[in-house]
Amino acid sequence: MNPLLFLRRVWAFVARDWRLELSYRMQFFLRVLSILIIVTTLFFISKIFTGFADPRFSQWGDPLAAWLTGLAVLNYFMTGFSSLANAIRQEQVQGTLESVLMTPISVPTVIVASSAWDFVQATFFSSLYLLFGWLFFNVHYRGNFLLALAFLLLTTVVLSCLGILSASFAMVFKRGDPFGIFLGTGSALFSGVFFPTQLIGEYAGRVASISRILPPTYGLDGIRRVLIEGQGFTQVREPFITLLLFLVVLLPLSLWVFGRAVRRAKREGSLIQY
Amino acid sequence: MSQREPISSDRARAGQGAGTALSVDHISKTYPVPFLRLKKMFGRKFKPPVEAVRDVSFAVGEGEIFGLIGPNGAGKTTLTKMIATLIQPTAGQVTVKGFDSVRDDQDVRRNVGLAGAEERSFYWRLTAEQNLLFFARLYGLSGGRAKQRIAELLELLQLGELSRRRFAELSTGNKQRLSVARALLANPPVLLLDEPTRSLDPIAAARMRSTIKSLAQVSGGTGVSPVNHAQDARATPVTVFLTSHNLAEVEELCDRVAIISRGAIRALDTPHNLRATHTDSEQISVTFTAPDAMEVESALRAAFSIQSLTLERGISPDAWVVKFTRKTEDDVLDSVLRVLQQSGCLIRNIESERATLLDVLERYESEESSAKEEGK
Repeated sequence: MNPLLFLRRVWAFVARDWRLELSYRMQFFLRVLSILIIVTTLFFISKIFTGFADPRFSQWGDPLAAWLTGLAVLNYFMTGFSSLANAIRQEQVQGTLESVLMTPISVPTVIVASSAWDFVQATFFSSLYLLFGWLFFNVHYRGNFLLALAFLLLTTVVLSCLGILSASFAMVFKRGDPFGIFLGTGSALFSGVFFPTQLIGEYAGRVASISRILPPTYGLDGIRRVLIEGQGFTQVREPFITLLLFLVVLLPLSLWVFGRAVRRAKREGSLIQY
Repeated sequence: MSQREPISSDRARAGQGAGTALSVDHISKTYPVPFLRLKKMFGRKFKPPVEAVRDVSFAVGEGEIFGLIGPNGAGKTTLTKMIATLIQPTAGQVTVKGFDSVRDDQDVRRNVGLAGAEERSFYWRLTAEQNLLFFARLYGLSGGRAKQRIAELLELLQLGELSRRRFAELSTGNKQRLSVARALLANPPVLLLDEPTRSLDPIAAARMRSTIKSLAQVSGGTGVSPVNHAQDARATPVTVFLTSHNLAEVEELCDRVAIISRGAIRALDTPHNLRATHTDSEQISVTFTAPDAMEVESALRAAFSIQSLTLERGISPDAWVVKFTRKTEDDVLDSVLRVLQQSGCLIRNIESERATLLDVLERYESEESSAKEEGK
């Protein structure tokens, strides 16, 4: 595919969604406000734990910093995971999918391009968690920001593979996506967004192994190690390689499943149904 | 309905000529039963697969306006969507400008514009212009070209003043016109129109028909509006594939018409030939003024054994109308006129009413119903 044409199409979707967003201005301001309220609430909760830091959990010396990175990164990860399936579902529900698919554009391009705006938004809103923490509540981050960004991108791509599986599911079964239920509810509990994953092992034994099969666990751990503990690449090599292994398995699998789902939907004539 | 002139022979030949724009070759579509194997495995009941289209074949020539008519559920939409690559056929092949609808689906979509009657296919909170700009970019048009093309199309479809209005604020008719504008964005050589005048008022509908005609005569492929195409030597005509429930419109516009029923093509010919094949008679109404109408009636009945001849009062006080049915091209009309003139009548008007496509369609439907009853 011509990369320039691909980018032009991605831009078309971003420009469309930007204009649609502008038509709902109030929603934007309310979301910014809600992030500020969440950060402020977490700041006061963190004050309860002042002086109670457990040396076993080095990333949790300042719980506010751990929560804010957790929420910011989780927001991004969830976008990577859910936006692809949402893109299809939203166009189906709006009734615009057929007219989009009537243009000379492939289904994968439609999915990637129509989720682009979600990533723009996620980047903005995720940054707000970190910005408000730094600006109003004296939260400081250190370490190699580029390495943290590499972790962020790698985890997002891995989750996008799961997102492709989810989109395939949405295309064939329309609703009741098991990946969404598993990752959506599972990540907040098992990936260490609000508390160290080691605690699950202490209190729930083998249940802790669930956190080991969730890619966000490794992404979040790597980013916190870099931004909060200031570790370098050699120290965070293990979660990085684990994420790469996830990618090697999930990328071809998800693309294969997606191709089958598109073919099936076209055969059944159900591509535009929801 | 007044009689329509037969189409010109060169337009009628278009479907069989060398310049084939759209070819449908033994196409069938059966919608599979979801999870059939699982249902069989668990002994669950399931409905038989739906056979929406059965072994349909036809070719549409460049610049031809081809109509597809049939009752609801006949397979019109499925067939249109297969041409538009939105649904894959179970068997057979659709080619548009030589591209296969399954193998070269993106190339087919580059050559096809679809204007449906579905209002929800636009973004309601964007303006008419913003909607078109989005789709123009998906067709690969750069910013400047896209804006120029959009301006041309909005003017062509009388939407210029409404370009900054949100789609949600447009009337149903204007939404439909915008749908046609979108289908024309990339100058496609083949245009699929699904009931293009369904929500338009009579004047707007007539304009739309005129636009469709002009597109099929000289248009497409050059990036300029049909208005300017007459001066463009490179202009090639747009092929129009039209589905409609407005049979008068189909008769007026289409060079050839296919009648589809229960997924199969029942007849395919020019509207003129379809009518002629299915009925060779026409209803004649002659309006006249006469010194003594009763005397005229007696003279007519004495001269002809036309059982269906009736005489009734016309609209103006001294006018009478004689109505009768005659076989096409027999000499009854001439004889009636001669009797009227010999009786001192003044002929004011003559109207003929031939079988319409509705009659043809109804006949196929009644045949289908009879066959179904016999099958039971």
